[in-house]
Amino acid sequence: MTASNEPAGRVGEKPAPGDRRIRARPASNGSAVLARKLAKSYGSRVAVDGIDFEVPAGICFGFLGPNGAGKTTTMKMIYGLARVGAGELRVLGMDARRERREIKARIGVVSQETNLDGDLTVRENLTQQASYFGIDAHDSRPRVDELLEFSLIADRGDDRVQALSGGMKRRLMVARSMVNDPELIVLDEPTTGLDPQARLAVWRSLERLKRRGVTLLLTTHYMEEASRLCDRLLIMDEGRIVTEGTPAALILQHAGREALELELGEDCDASELLDTLAGRAGGHELHDGALTIFAQDADELLRSIDHDRFPTDSAIVRRATLEDVFLRLTGRSLREGE
Amino acid sequence: MAMSYEPGYAGLGDRLHIRDLIPAPRLAAAVWRRNAQVFSKLWKGALLPTFLDPFFYLLALGFGLGTYIAHGINGVPYKEFVAPGLIASAAMWSSAFETTYNVYFRMNELRLYDNVLSTPVEPQDLVAGDIAWSSTRATVYGIVVLIVVAAVGLVSSPWAILIPPFVLLGGMCFSVIGYTFTSLIPKIDLYSYFFTLGITPMFLFSGIFFPFNQLPGWVEVVAWFTPLYHLVEITRGLATGPDAVQILIHTMWLAVVTALLFPIPVRALRARLVP
Repeated sequence: MTASNEPAGRVGEKPAPGDRRIRARPASNGSAVLARKLAKSYGSRVAVDGIDFEVPAGICFGFLGPNGAGKTTTMKMIYGLARVGAGELRVLGMDARRERREIKARIGVVSQETNLDGDLTVRENLTQQASYFGIDAHDSRPRVDELLEFSLIADRGDDRVQALSGGMKRRLMVARSMVNDPELIVLDEPTTGLDPQARLAVWRSLERLKRRGVTLLLTTHYMEEASRLCDRLLIMDEGRIVTEGTPAALILQHAGREALELELGEDCDASELLDTLAGRAGGHELHDGALTIFAQDADELLRSIDHDRFPTDSAIVRRATLEDVFLRLTGRSLREGE
Repeated sequence: MAMSYEPGYAGLGDRLHIRDLIPAPRLAAAVWRRNAQVFSKLWKGALLPTFLDPFFYLLALGFGLGTYIAHGINGVPYKEFVAPGLIASAAMWSSAFETTYNVYFRMNELRLYDNVLSTPVEPQDLVAGDIAWSSTRATVYGIVVLIVVAAVGLVSSPWAILIPPFVLLGGMCFSVIGYTFTSLIPKIDLYSYFFTLGITPMFLFSGIFFPFNQLPGWVEVVAWFTPLYHLVEITRGLATGPDAVQILIHTMWLAVVTALLFPIPVRALRARLVP
């Protein structure tokens, strides 16, 4: 097959050399986002409390944290919907205070709220978005066609946005963030509220984007999402960064290889049990009679428990997950508000 | 009772550098285009009745009441006196609705501006594009009224052909006033003040339905401070035989007020949407 009968540079496919629209960027050695002592308050409420982080170009970087941790505020400072309160923030090498317009021209945004234009069709939403980047309807047409293909809604182009399912709307949000061929896409909870199939479809879109070398910066509540997509992540709580690293390293560091989940019997004394395991347990979480103990070898740990002395209703051995890390570092209590 | 503010309400906001007040034409045009596209889809349905408003006034007052005003006003038959003013008021009503409820809805309910402002579009481009659209729409309404009143013979001067660009300017002035109100109000309920204490009295007391020359001098002085008065003077002048100097003065008034007010909604919108 020759290049001429293949539509050049379908989004998500291997790009043809020289095609500007779909060029895949090699991970450059600069950082996509760099924050130093970054802070932001709304009135007397401190949302972000002097954080330092660096997002290397070309990777998927995750922000995890409970509600109100400051994730969304941080994202908004990056994409220009909140002014930098204090400290330094550089996006693609540019100063977020002074070069807001220039930064916005080179990034894409998928906000937490679905804010598609309901009076326009799917295709018109993309064409209109391109015009906000100074690209007229004629010039954006090939790009819009590709993005409709990319987001698997090519057959819905002329439908009004209201007619789309939640998952399709979300994919359209991702497609819309790509009209300007951004180097960095900021996604604030991209899959919240989606069913598993729709979530998987969004993940696939993001994985294709990642392969093209686009830097992804996402916030999420879903640990599975973070494990699957993120090369590096950090956990925020109450405006501060609690920890940062690769998902695997964070699990090893804060939880261990495996976890033993025990549903303790009524007469079981948890603290005495933990005393007998001291030294072999990497750490533990106790919550309403449910005891989770982290260890290198949870099976071995389970066998060593004297079950007559410490009766348990159930015992499960599993791999430690990011969820364990998250709950250990941010606590189990419910966060209300925000 | 304490006033419950809309989320994000931020008042007037900080002073802006002149650079942050000058819109980028291409991006303002993109904002204009979106609004025009939505209007072109909706006008045949929901918006059609709004075209009819001025004609009911023309029928009731011009042809109805006017029958009892035997000698007309200053020698002009009453319906011919009223008709050009209705071109101006159609523009005012259109601008007032567009920059209050429509802008409010796009900004606070649909959250469309959050998306627009996360592209290279900045608040000054957004406000300029919205005002450009609102005044375009006002001009469309004004032209519809102009065509109809001309068709039924209520226009006596060929200069009336120049009315549309002045309606565009007047529309800009009404729009920037409405936009200023929208960007500053803490909650949607306050629009009733805008319409009942601002737009409706202006409609009734700007010289559309009766002239000022028999009334105490202060009435005209008050009217002079309203944009509708100036646009009515322009449209009536052009429809009945213009005085160039007067038209220049009224035009200057509308242009200066528009330019002076423009920074306020830009500042307030930035404070509100980019805290």
